[in-house]
Amino acid sequence: MQTHRSRRKLLFEALGGYSGLALTSLLAEGAKPNPRAKSVISLFMSGGVSHLDTFDPKPALSKYAGQPLTGKGDVVVRQGHPGPLMPSPFTFKKYGQCGMDVSELFPRIASHADDIALLRSVYSKSNDHVQAHFASATGMIRMGFPSIGSWIGYGLGAETKNLPAFVVLYDAHGAPFGGPANWSAGFMPATYQGTVFRASGTPIIDLIPPASIDASRQRARLDLIHQLNDLDAATHPGNSELAARIESYELAYRMQGVAPEAVDVTRESEATRKLYGLDNPVTEPFARQCIMARRLIERGVRMVQLYHGGLGNQNTDTWDAHEDVKSNHTRHAAEVDQPISALLTDLKARGLLDSTLVTWQGEFGRMPISQRGLGRDHNPGAMSMWMTGAKIKGGQIIGTTDEFGYKAEEQPISIHDLHATILNLLGLDHTKLTYRFNGRDMRLTDVYGEIIPQI
Amino acid sequence: MYFRALALLCLSSSTLQAADARFEKDIEPILRTRCWKCHGTAVQLAKLNLQTRESTLAGGEHGPAIIPGNPDQSRLYRMLAGNEKPAMPLDGKLSATEIESIRNWIASGAEWGATQQPGDQAAQRTALEDMPLPANARDWWAFRKPVRPAIPANTNPIDFLVAKRRSAIPTAPQANRNTLVRRAYLDLLGLPPTPAQITAFLNDNSPNAWANLIDRLLGSPHYGERWGRHWLDLARYADSNGYEHDFDRPNAWRYRDYVIAAFNSDKPYDRFLREQLAGDELPTTSPETLTATGFLRNHAKVGFREKDNPEFRYEYLDDMIATLGRGVMGLTVQCARCHNHKFDPIAQKDYYRLQASLYGYVEVDHPLVPAAQALEHKTRNEKIEAQIKPLRQQIRSIEQPYRDQLLPAKYQRFPENVQAAIRTPEAQRTPGQVLLANQVIRTTNVSTTEIDRIATKEDLTRKQALLAQIASLDKQRPAPLPLAMGITDGDYRFTPDGPGDEPAPGKGIQQQAIKGSFLHQGIEPYQAPASYFLIRGDINSHGSQMQPGFPAVLVSGEVPTAIPPANGKTSGRRLALAQWLSSPDHPLTARVMVNRIWHHHFGTGIVRTIDNFGVMGELPTNPQLLDWLSTEFVRQDWSIKQIHRLIMTSATYQLDSHFENSISNTADPGNTSLWRFPIHRLDAEIVRDSILASAGSLNPAVGGPAVFPVLQPEVLRAMTHGIWNQDKDGPAVWRRSVYVYRKRGLPFPMFEVFDLPDQNISCGARNISTVPTQALTLLNNDFVLTQAALFARYLEEALPGNRQAQINLAYQRTLARQPSPKEQQLARDFLRNQPLEAFTHVLLNLNEFLYIN
Repeated sequence: MQTHRSRRKLLFEALGGYSGLALTSLLAEGAKPNPRAKSVISLFMSGGVSHLDTFDPKPALSKYAGQPLTGKGDVVVRQGHPGPLMPSPFTFKKYGQCGMDVSELFPRIASHADDIALLRSVYSKSNDHVQAHFASATGMIRMGFPSIGSWIGYGLGAETKNLPAFVVLYDAHGAPFGGPANWSAGFMPATYQGTVFRASGTPIIDLIPPASIDASRQRARLDLIHQLNDLDAATHPGNSELAARIESYELAYRMQGVAPEAVDVTRESEATRKLYGLDNPVTEPFARQCIMARRLIERGVRMVQLYHGGLGNQNTDTWDAHEDVKSNHTRHAAEVDQPISALLTDLKARGLLDSTLVTWQGEFGRMPISQRGLGRDHNPGAMSMWMTGAKIKGGQIIGTTDEFGYKAEEQPISIHDLHATILNLLGLDHTKLTYRFNGRDMRLTDVYGEIIPQI
Repeated sequence: MYFRALALLCLSSSTLQAADARFEKDIEPILRTRCWKCHGTAVQLAKLNLQTRESTLAGGEHGPAIIPGNPDQSRLYRMLAGNEKPAMPLDGKLSATEIESIRNWIASGAEWGATQQPGDQAAQRTALEDMPLPANARDWWAFRKPVRPAIPANTNPIDFLVAKRRSAIPTAPQANRNTLVRRAYLDLLGLPPTPAQITAFLNDNSPNAWANLIDRLLGSPHYGERWGRHWLDLARYADSNGYEHDFDRPNAWRYRDYVIAAFNSDKPYDRFLREQLAGDELPTTSPETLTATGFLRNHAKVGFREKDNPEFRYEYLDDMIATLGRGVMGLTVQCARCHNHKFDPIAQKDYYRLQASLYGYVEVDHPLVPAAQALEHKTRNEKIEAQIKPLRQQIRSIEQPYRDQLLPAKYQRFPENVQAAIRTPEAQRTPGQVLLANQVIRTTNVSTTEIDRIATKEDLTRKQALLAQIASLDKQRPAPLPLAMGITDGDYRFTPDGPGDEPAPGKGIQQQAIKGSFLHQGIEPYQAPASYFLIRGDINSHGSQMQPGFPAVLVSGEVPTAIPPANGKTSGRRLALAQWLSSPDHPLTARVMVNRIWHHHFGTGIVRTIDNFGVMGELPTNPQLLDWLSTEFVRQDWSIKQIHRLIMTSATYQLDSHFENSISNTADPGNTSLWRFPIHRLDAEIVRDSILASAGSLNPAVGGPAVFPVLQPEVLRAMTHGIWNQDKDGPAVWRRSVYVYRKRGLPFPMFEVFDLPDQNISCGARNISTVPTQALTLLNNDFVLTQAALFARYLEEALPGNRQAQINLAYQRTLARQPSPKEQQLARDFLRNQPLEAFTHVLLNLNEFLYIN
């Protein structure tokens, strides 16, 4: 049994992340019929978006402005000393039939309020950027664990033979906090790690040979590789690993054609490009990432992880508004509001929103108290995130924070709960999707995680 | 309204009557069975004691547990109901009825009745901490000492035991000599043989040709580069810290070179372990043994505000325990950090005994010179420091008036409320203004450049003269000593801060005003700081103070848990741990290591889960073979090279891999009984090394600081912190891959694509995957194409114009054999239209090139 199982597993691991083979189709573990969504687009605002200035208005901050935050236990800040309570410099307005309060930073995203499920009581595990990034990606603050995209690829495979299951698009300024560890496969085989697609040039490293090797020359090399490998394989009949490697060269060849086309935004209509804001230098970089995400999802990629905010300059190029929340968030919101809104509109218009889960979040929220007058420090105790698509009931607000937004109050939602919910929408049972490592059946949600009932 | 109030009043007085009964019947049993274990008189997690009404109302570190009359605001109810995380109790939710009872009880005032005596504190602790060893715990095969099987005279023990286990099925013949010579070179050195080396072996007709070849290879300095790398995987070695800042570890490579040298010199494995765990505590220490302690520093490290975050250190300790557990004992000891092990008989207490054995460790950079020289170096430096100090003081006093003058303007960039707070005299500030002013005053500084801009000429001249004096004193400092990253015992609370590691003002453990020193000083022997049983692994929830020790299931008789060294500088706990681990009687240490050696020779271990010999691991496919090898290992003075000789001179190792037989295949499709040699793919580093060696460009230099092969700019963009020096492409970086800088934050792409293990966890067996990005790398990567071109040039220069001979030589260099007529034909046809570098490129892409056959 063990041997049989591991041979099947080997075949799967040989090509799983690329071949459309899913663990679940082979082993029928953890997958449910008729999943709500087939794919995920995760919009990650790196650096820590302030919930208090975007999706979680707190009138008490105006009322008690300038006074110390008391009655909430220790006030833990990441840098220096705590400041007094600081009202949001932004005004809030009600949007949609549901009357969701959203700040002036996101008027366009807010126009989708009736499609959005807003989660106001999410909390994270660390007030360090990197550890909080890892927590969002893998559930653990330590390095070395598979990211959620790896788990999804492991559980479902890709829907296409020609593209990886898990693609990462990061900010033009650079990688997010923690870098490639955010899309690592951890202890799983390399097949499941996220593949970075670049926004310009050839999308994948080493995808295309240099100009000196034209298509016919490359084909000639591939043909000889194939012929010689076949001669060798004939001396090892029935070896699935060698067969998989022969097949991988054909996959690689097909990817050379498919991958550039998959992310070629010039193939979009003028109207679409305008919709996303590709014509505006402020919105252009993230608009490009959003269009690429939609095109990849259309072509069968399971998870596209977008990062907005990269290093770069931590204070200006990410949402890390220690200095001045008004200028920082105004700038970054302007970069993403239109592209994200356009992505939702576009997915809906193409009938893709029902089968695609779109999530929006940062690694933690920010403090209700000021840092040096205008900034806000990190706050893992509370953050807002939203989900849409996947037939999720829109216009609902789940959970609350306390009157200052310092800590999640009603229905606190952990990262594990989020992960459990996302897997569930994809038809994966987070308690059954396991990978044996280190003598234990490891899970994305470790020993935790409860599905958010309203989603 | 009036009536309703009256009714309520009646209700509450009547429930008051009933409260006692309800408490004793419904509430007390819940508290007693489900809460007091962690929140009682003996143990108060989160400082909460639910034993009395007073202590419950007072609450713990998160505030009151109960607000009588208001269950929805009562944390006890909220956590039991799951309205607040973590949901309690941690070991499983109460029933709906029980939760409802608690709710009603709080709503009606949370009256307390008589509680049963909780028992004495010691008994409560014992109930929480102690796990009686199950009666049959020691019966598990891996916990019993190996039994050496009898071997008939004049038989090869390995072949005898392999055959004994195998049913009567056809087995492969011996592989041909070309296959064997390539197998041996790649296996022991990680390099393909050169044509001259192949010919030498083929022409050696002596009966000892094969044994002599193995001896020659074991004597090569490249052997350590290959087999040391396996150990470096296990030791989670890297050249950078990881996490956000990913700081460079400039001396890490000395540990890497120590490991390579240890394999090359066939350092006995027991000694190898003792040096790595306690190289600073041995009766005789040396630069080598001190460097070895780098093993315990190889974990990823945040390296930023460490003292503000004492939990980091517990993560590092956990990493050490995990590495020792899996790497040396093949046991997942780290699973017992928060609870007793779920599968193996390892108690949580065992974990904290091991933690106590390591707990005194501190990070030091050992100077690799005699102690007297190190002391002199230190004294000379301190002398210079002492001379520099007053000069710096003088500079500060020159600068101070300017600083005072410039500071007010600096505050102007802050908003008006902050400025107002600063303007307000300290005594009159509102509480909010105190916070605003504090934040800004403490963090606003005037830079030297700003001061210089407005300083008078005289002041500037004076300052520059002082700076010149400092610079000339700096020049008199002795040359830096060679340092090795290692550990010794001390008090971590006084560890000097690394860059960026100063505790934030107003925070940090240093605020506790403890007195003490980092490394042990004084006449009395060193005492390790106290460490505790941590309830549920929570660093703030102390149970009993722990003494050092080992997992009870593996201990028989009296074993010392500390062997204090004569100099009194360390506790000797690590030395005792190392002695115990490396004792010939330890049932696991030798077995785990010979299984690793077997794994690397055959692609799978005798126990396939090579890091887990516990209940969740697989059983050995050939227990007698494992036991014979492990007892032989100890008999041969823990010589790893001797185990290589034994394995490789067996007929089993020399079987052909191409052999196919339907009977054998049906009987044993997984080839667990080794009826043929199992082919296995080259490791990532060996793919690159083989390309370099085939092309004739390998720089064979051994040891030294890491090299930084060129990375594409797109790849470098993903780097957020730390270093990548981007050396020029050429022989200086065409070194063995074991010397390529290991950056935790940015794994070398070519290695990553070929299954480099995560560099942050101890890894015994790498994954083997086959993905199109591997094909893309070999097809399109600049490095591969450059080497293919150099390979072609090498062939052209060696055999100008002779296509057929070039083809043959290329086959020799990559596959260690002559091409078949069919292959020759295909090659000639191809070369009619394609350049030679296209052909060499094709060879570097072949399956046969990437596999040990």
